[in-house]
Amino acid sequence: MSARVGLGDTAALALGAGILGTGGGGNTYIGRLKLDRQLQLSGTPCLVLDVEQLPDDALVVGVGMMGAPTVGIEKIEAGDEVARAVQALAAHLGREFDALVINEIGGSNALEPLMCALQLGLPVLDGDGMGRAFPELQMDTFSIGGIPASPLALGDCHGNIAIFERLSSPLQAEEWARNLTIEMGGSAALVMSLMSGAEVKANLVRGTLSLALEMGRAVMQAREDKVASPAKVIAALGNGRILFKGKIVDVERRTVQGFARGRMRLQAFDAPEDNMDIVFQNENLVAWRDGDVQCCVPDLITIVTLEDGTPLGTELLRYGLRVAVIGMPAVRELKTPAALEVIGPAAFGYKDVTYTPLPGDLLPAAS
Amino acid sequence: MRVIDESALEDIALGAAVLGTGGGGDPYIGKLMARESIRRYGPVDLYTLDELNDEDLIVPTAMMGAPTVMVEKMPNGDDIVNAFLSVGKYIGKPVRATMSIEAGGLNSVVPIYAAARLNLPMVDCDGMGRAFPELQMVTHTIHGISATPIGMSDERGNTVIMETINNHWTETFARSVTVDMGAMAMIALYAATVAELKEAAVPDTISQAQRIGETIRRARLEEQDPVRTVRESVNGYTVFRGKISDVQRRTEAGFAKGDAFMTGVAEFEGRELQLSFQNEHLAARIDGEVCVTVPDLIAVLDIETGEPITTEGLRYGFRVEVIAFACTPRWRSEAGLQLVGPRVFGYDVDYVPVEERYGQ
Repeated sequence: MSARVGLGDTAALALGAGILGTGGGGNTYIGRLKLDRQLQLSGTPCLVLDVEQLPDDALVVGVGMMGAPTVGIEKIEAGDEVARAVQALAAHLGREFDALVINEIGGSNALEPLMCALQLGLPVLDGDGMGRAFPELQMDTFSIGGIPASPLALGDCHGNIAIFERLSSPLQAEEWARNLTIEMGGSAALVMSLMSGAEVKANLVRGTLSLALEMGRAVMQAREDKVASPAKVIAALGNGRILFKGKIVDVERRTVQGFARGRMRLQAFDAPEDNMDIVFQNENLVAWRDGDVQCCVPDLITIVTLEDGTPLGTELLRYGLRVAVIGMPAVRELKTPAALEVIGPAAFGYKDVTYTPLPGDLLPAAS
Repeated sequence: MRVIDESALEDIALGAAVLGTGGGGDPYIGKLMARESIRRYGPVDLYTLDELNDEDLIVPTAMMGAPTVMVEKMPNGDDIVNAFLSVGKYIGKPVRATMSIEAGGLNSVVPIYAAARLNLPMVDCDGMGRAFPELQMVTHTIHGISATPIGMSDERGNTVIMETINNHWTETFARSVTVDMGAMAMIALYAATVAELKEAAVPDTISQAQRIGETIRRARLEEQDPVRTVRESVNGYTVFRGKISDVQRRTEAGFAKGDAFMTGVAEFEGRELQLSFQNEHLAARIDGEVCVTVPDLIAVLDIETGEPITTEGLRYGFRVEVIAFACTPRWRSEAGLQLVGPRVFGYDVDYVPVEERYGQ
């Protein structure tokens, strides 16, 4: 399929990306405002390509923002930092890109590549490297699939550019780029995972842009129909289930080492002793109900408002919000042993948590 | 054009320690590396700016980070070559030569190593005429020459290129990457044409370092007063003679800061000197009165050998002479003082040129 994302689609895309963001990926409200403005300026919708349409010798690169979502909502971007970083990398390589890849489909990082694609006149691919959002650079199917982390470009809102020409590992890319992102003010444009058409075909999680649009549209429809609760609709579309309903009664959140880290406690409405605890590092990582693990990475833990299914980023959590916690199975690409080493609970420091996959997969098997 | 051979290298390293004004890093490891590369690849051609074409592109090479780390974590040499080549490739033009960005201390000899390895000449100039702790503190900055593109490499082969909007940002980012690289990185930066350098660089500083080194070496052989010969070779003034009575050090914001106190001897009997440093010597006060400050150079010399003592080498009981000498006139402009004057380092005093205080 080739499709276009225009002004009529951004509300649904922002909503769907917020759901797949599992708390992170950046604030979609701001992301949508920026994308809308760019669509108006460009006067044309953004072209979305199916990866199969791409020649094997094409050159593509992943784009997005890096940093803490708590910073992202306070420090407004210049708006062209991603495009400038892409151009700097293209100039350095002496080659133009044929398409952009969404690094993570969660949060505003789903919208940012479209904005950049419009600015540069490039298409984006329908898919991403996670089928959700993750906090660290090495946590995507490209790195897991052996795509080198370098060359990697970072850009900030002032116009500063850094190109990491050679790095020994994706983990080192995470460490060094994170430190520079902190120097850049806590958020920066990230351009990484340089791939050929053949390489991206081998490593892309396909169809996730379509999934985000579909989820967003379904929630909007559910709000209008007032038949099924939006949370139920989301859970059904994501092959998941509602893990908990209740009120946020405590949030601990710090912006440390370039991340929004913390934990929250939710309390059931009718049973104050029935609690759910969720820890996060930009994204929600592990959910315990009364001490038992209910869901953990790489499966998705999405918190939405109870009444209208608005996904809540970890930067927006606060006491008193009435929410539903939805658990959804990860895409199958994240459940291989190699992937689980990078994005399983132990990789986030939860060595005592065993990953018990929720049944099913986020997306049906490719036909 | 003349050549830097092994004996010239020895003199440059010795003289550069005087120009290091207590900092700039011990040239020892850098000197060993440069000596090895001269032995293997031959001596390095040293050109004056006037001997080159105005449009020739020059890319300085240097070590960034803590010289104390360099002693334990040796560079492998490929790092400096990687940094240099990556900048050249990024600019996309042939580079005619390399140069020192900081003639004081270690970074006087790092480019000699690079030049020999790369079979390129070196230019007889630098960006400081001394040593300073931060990357933007070079005369190039006054003349609007960008520090970037900067190439940074470590001994494992990791390479980073950055393009920043001004030289203060370069310092901030490069410092962060240097820490990630293990507190030491090899860098290439401040690419400029010869025409630009004629305006911006401090000329003749490698030769100056060599002359100072030669003087010290000869004085030792001829058993002259080495302190006097050093002082005369830099047209310097005696600020103080005394014994170090106390040294206070603290590590603040990544810098070795502190004060050394000295009690006077001979004509300085009964007086006390306080020497403040941040990597380099910054200001000296006698009995509370400021007598010399940055950007003029302050060197502490061992009274017996004339050997310059670094800030980390200051110890109780050392008998020393403190000398001061004039910095390059480029630092004495308003823009220069805004970059490296005493207020930049937190001393709320006006800069008075050393020869106005001690003039003949």
